[in-house]
Amino acid sequence: MALPKRIVKETERLMAEPVPGISAVPHEDNLRYFDVTVEGPSQSPYEGGIFKLELFLPDDYPMTPPKIRFLTKIYHPNIDKLGRICLDVLKSNWSPALQIRTILLSIQALLGAPNPDDPLANDVAQHWKENQNAAIQTAREWTQQYAKPQ
Amino acid sequence: MTCTARFGQNAKSRVAPSNVLITYPDTMSFAGIEERPSKKRRFFVEDENPGDATLSAAPTLPDEINVQSYVEPSDSGLNSRQSHDPGQKGISDERDDSNFQSDVFDVDLFTSIVGENVSDTIVTKLQQMCGNDVQRAINVFFDGSWKTASLTPQQPVSAPNSISATSNRSEADIQNTRPTSQGRSPSANSSRPQKLSTAVIPEKRYLGALGVTGWATRSGSGLIRHEEKVGIERAKPRIEANGTLKGFRSKLATSKRQDIVVRFTNSQGSEVGRLENESAAWISTLLDQHTCTFEGTVVFAPDRIRTNDTIYLQLRCYALKNAFEAGGLIKPLDKNRQTGLYEARETEDERNLRLRQVALVKLFDEINLHPTRVNETTERHKRQGLLQSAETDEHKEQQNQQGSGQSPNHGESSPPSEEAEEGAQLEQDQLDTLYKKAQSFDFNTPEREPAETFAMDLRKYQRQALHWMVGKEKEEKSDYKEMSMHPLWEEYLWPVKDVDSKELPEFPSQSSFYVNPYSGELSLDFPVQEQNCLGGILADEMGLGKTIEMLSLIHTHKSEAMETLAESSVASVNNLPRLPKTSSSVEWAPCTTLVIAPMSLLAQWQSEAEKASKTGTLKTLVYYGSDKSANLQNLCCEANVASAPNVVITSYGVVLSEYNQVAANGGQRGSSGGLFSLNYFRIILDEAHHVKNRQAKTAKACYELSARHRWVLTGTPIVNRLEDLFSLVHFLRVEPWSNFSFWKTFITVPFESNDFIRALDVVQTVLEPLVLRRTKDMKTPEGEALVPLPPRTIDIESVELSKQEREVYDYVFARAKRTFAANVEAGTVMKSYTTIFAQILRLRQSCCHPSLTRNKSIVAEEEDAAAAADVANGLADDMDLQSLIARFESSTVDEDANKFGAHVLKQIQDEATLECPICSEEPMQEQAVTGCWHSACKSCLLDYIEHQASKGELPRCFNCREPINARDVFEVVRHNDDDGYASSTSSNAQDDQSSTPPPRISLRRTGTGSSSAKITSLLTHLTQLRRSAPFTKSVVFSQFTSFLDLLEPALRRSRIRYLRFDGGMAQKQRAAVLSEFAAERRKGGCVLLLSLRAGGVGLNLTCATRVFMMDPWWSWAVEAQAIDRVHRMGQEEEVRVVRFVVRESIEEKMLRIQERKKFM
Repeated sequence: MALPKRIVKETERLMAEPVPGISAVPHEDNLRYFDVTVEGPSQSPYEGGIFKLELFLPDDYPMTPPKIRFLTKIYHPNIDKLGRICLDVLKSNWSPALQIRTILLSIQALLGAPNPDDPLANDVAQHWKENQNAAIQTAREWTQQYAKPQ
Repeated sequence: MTCTARFGQNAKSRVAPSNVLITYPDTMSFAGIEERPSKKRRFFVEDENPGDATLSAAPTLPDEINVQSYVEPSDSGLNSRQSHDPGQKGISDERDDSNFQSDVFDVDLFTSIVGENVSDTIVTKLQQMCGNDVQRAINVFFDGSWKTASLTPQQPVSAPNSISATSNRSEADIQNTRPTSQGRSPSANSSRPQKLSTAVIPEKRYLGALGVTGWATRSGSGLIRHEEKVGIERAKPRIEANGTLKGFRSKLATSKRQDIVVRFTNSQGSEVGRLENESAAWISTLLDQHTCTFEGTVVFAPDRIRTNDTIYLQLRCYALKNAFEAGGLIKPLDKNRQTGLYEARETEDERNLRLRQVALVKLFDEINLHPTRVNETTERHKRQGLLQSAETDEHKEQQNQQGSGQSPNHGESSPPSEEAEEGAQLEQDQLDTLYKKAQSFDFNTPEREPAETFAMDLRKYQRQALHWMVGKEKEEKSDYKEMSMHPLWEEYLWPVKDVDSKELPEFPSQSSFYVNPYSGELSLDFPVQEQNCLGGILADEMGLGKTIEMLSLIHTHKSEAMETLAESSVASVNNLPRLPKTSSSVEWAPCTTLVIAPMSLLAQWQSEAEKASKTGTLKTLVYYGSDKSANLQNLCCEANVASAPNVVITSYGVVLSEYNQVAANGGQRGSSGGLFSLNYFRIILDEAHHVKNRQAKTAKACYELSARHRWVLTGTPIVNRLEDLFSLVHFLRVEPWSNFSFWKTFITVPFESNDFIRALDVVQTVLEPLVLRRTKDMKTPEGEALVPLPPRTIDIESVELSKQEREVYDYVFARAKRTFAANVEAGTVMKSYTTIFAQILRLRQSCCHPSLTRNKSIVAEEEDAAAAADVANGLADDMDLQSLIARFESSTVDEDANKFGAHVLKQIQDEATLECPICSEEPMQEQAVTGCWHSACKSCLLDYIEHQASKGELPRCFNCREPINARDVFEVVRHNDDDGYASSTSSNAQDDQSSTPPPRISLRRTGTGSSSAKITSLLTHLTQLRRSAPFTKSVVFSQFTSFLDLLEPALRRSRIRYLRFDGGMAQKQRAAVLSEFAAERRKGGCVLLLSLRAGGVGLNLTCATRVFMMDPWWSWAVEAQAIDRVHRMGQEEEVRVVRFVVRESIEEKMLRIQERKKFM
């Protein structure tokens, strides 16, 4: 199946006008599969970390949202141990008008604004709620430990 | 050997001296001139001499015919005399006429055999009934039929004897010259010249031997011994008591029942037993029809025979001379005229023919005689099919007879299955050769330059066609083709040794004989394949210039009258027009070629004819409508040669209506002065598939036109069935194929019994000398195309029905299924097939547009109601953007939303090229907006709504996540500036004046009832095309004119210029539409809506480069024809064809049917 025009265009634009702090590079053998890195936003526990994600555009994209997963371990109430992300625009609030770029920006924003009230990783969320500072500290440590650029 | 002299009722007491010279006139009626030998036949012969069984033709050798029906030499000098029965040709029922007669009616002999005293009156009556034929009389007496029989002649009809070598009669006076009973046809003209003198033909000739089994009907010892000669004879089942007489079937008994009993008798002449039914079935036929005679030898018989014991016999088969003689005369009756009424019925003739076919084929199988030469098809194929087709008929017959409680008990054997398998394996090879042959065109055929008066240049292949056509008309034998054997005949060598390896007498110049296994004919002469038709089928593919080729022929080959006219001076008195003389006869029109073409092509023919001729060299006349007033007969008759039109162009409709007039006038052809009052020099049927149905009146009318040369032009000789071809061949009067029963036996029946290859092969042989066909993709040996045509691409576009349409379709489908099931249950499927067709038609219509299937008024009402509801909501189906904007701008409520709305609308209006947020297409494909004024491609938007709905979610806007509705999606329609329709409607004109600068844009609700999936797809293509290639012209074909009616408003709404051409238009109107379409040069292109039927053939639409086929037709050939209106000679650009096919519908099935038909 030929690659839809939309995906071609999005990829071109991601290359031509990259978003600061975000990169997405398609695999050569599968242009629907992207290697993504997201920098942790400043003034967040993830600042200074570079997080790797994988992104896959399913066949009926953009009717259905892309599938995205963190590869780098991260301590975040909305991201579980497997790297799965709880984000409304990736689920019920997806719209075909959204793009890879906008989705990645949303994820970056999620790092800056964790939402422990709608958790995916229950233990992390619990920790976050009970002792936010300690949780943030753990997040920082994880970032130092796992998300430091080599 | 059967001796078969017979008498008419009036031949009571004629006495002929022995050794008299008997002449056999060629005519049918010679009842009174026969002479009978005076000596009576000896009935019982003790002395059998097997060595003489093969009778030589020694003139002095008399024949002695014993009751066992084989010939014995005799020293008695008594000659049985051969007589020809009076020609009761009207009675053509099949008779067993294997009885023989003596020369005078011997009452003593009669009574001695009958063994009782018979009163004189009875004897007289018998005598009258049977002539002098004692044997017949005895049989009649025993079977009792004399009591009931009237004195109508008992003799079956014999075909006339064509043998002219009367001088040979005396020396051959022992011969049985009675033709076989196959000769039933009164048409006495022999198709094959009798080249060999019959004098040298032996009386009978050894063919071969075979083993058969018989069973005893008597018991006793010493009845029959090993090596004993037995007689093989036909017997009447009812004459059980007297086996010594040959059976015959009385006329009364011929009715339905086929008697196949074959008896064998010992040397004393008494019956011993019968042959097994299986062999008796065909042996009886051969005996009855006087094709062969048999001599038997006992191979094994028990010493003491009990009834039902098996006795093994060896039979020697001899072909009778008269089988060959009669063969030349046989021609099936011309049944063409009757087929309409009696098609289902098999005549007695056909049944006999069938029996003989089967018998001969089986005989040759049994005696293991194989043809030394067959034509193309292997003989096994032929035979196999022959048996099959005969069996098919057999079954029919049996079914017919079940009502009467009788069924024939013969011919049940079927070809062995392994043979059938072999046949199947051969198929692929056969197919390949067929195709190869069909495609092969000799590029080295000689060419011929057209006459000087012809104004155009011909291409090479056209000059070759001209050469071929002139050759056909002058019937020049093409020198590069050898004389070929008639395809249906097979050549056999006479055996030179008999079964015991004894030498058989040889006959000089007769080493082989020929058999037509299809008709059961035998011949000693080489059957030449002949074509006596001075015309043919020009079947070049469309666009190769058939018309031009034909016109070049008109210029090049003229009648003698024309030639002399051209030489003589124009001013001569003879050439002045003469006063019209009204002749009631059919006048010879030596200068006139009649062209019959579909109405839409009349003008085209005329203009082509004028273009192709130098000025003043060709006079044309369109004989149509009001121009028909002219008296054609006066115009064209020989006296007015100088002023006669050279080409008269008329339509099939005119031919039909004049035919009806002539028929109403009681067949007075001449007096009307119309088409039928002339015998033309040449007739050309253009687009001849119009007459493909031989039962259609138009076809019949065309058959009746007389002309010296007959031509048929068609790009598709076969549309649906092989019979299509028959009609053409019949029009051309190609013997023998123009005979329908002939055609049926060799082509239809094998084809229907799935023996495609054989049927096709025969078709191929029929066509080969008749047809010239070149295809566009043919390549010259140098690899060049015949006609360089631009490429053509055909795309099939799958159309998905909308939900509502699918509901309609499913509903119609379910109803059709129910009807069919109900019919199946009631067993009335065949009766109600018209209903089923109607249902299928409904299905096809619902693929195009649901409202096609529905009552028009109901649909209109529903639409009205929907429109009223919309007006109430403030959202009309077709909102004018200007007014919308105005409404938004003036509105004070909810200002933000309105501003945004106004902005969006302005943006649309300014043609801001937005990228589709969903597919990133730029600009959007068919921009559409939601009720919340967010725009995207129409299809993206609808897809997304559909996607959400399918997941059970409430559809929401992709942008603002407002709930939306598929009904609230509006298409943006841009009205092009130079749109022809802007000025066509008054309201639009006003708008234009008031707001000239900004191009008008309006929003139209999508998915409304006025449109269907197909219409939408078409509009998508057309609007795209308008953007990418604004000058392109397109042609849209549909077979439903009502669908064209629906397309018109849709095109109008989209502001696409269109023209329409359909069958409902008058000839002048059609011409006007075509010229307007050709002349159209404006930007934005133009669409021509055509009905497939009216516009699918003949037209030249090379100015268009796009073809849209809205609905598939059952046969691809028809669609291809239509496409070739555009993709034909003269087309310079690539042609793109889009065929719309609804997914998962009957249309996809139709495509599969098309695939299957392409095979033909």
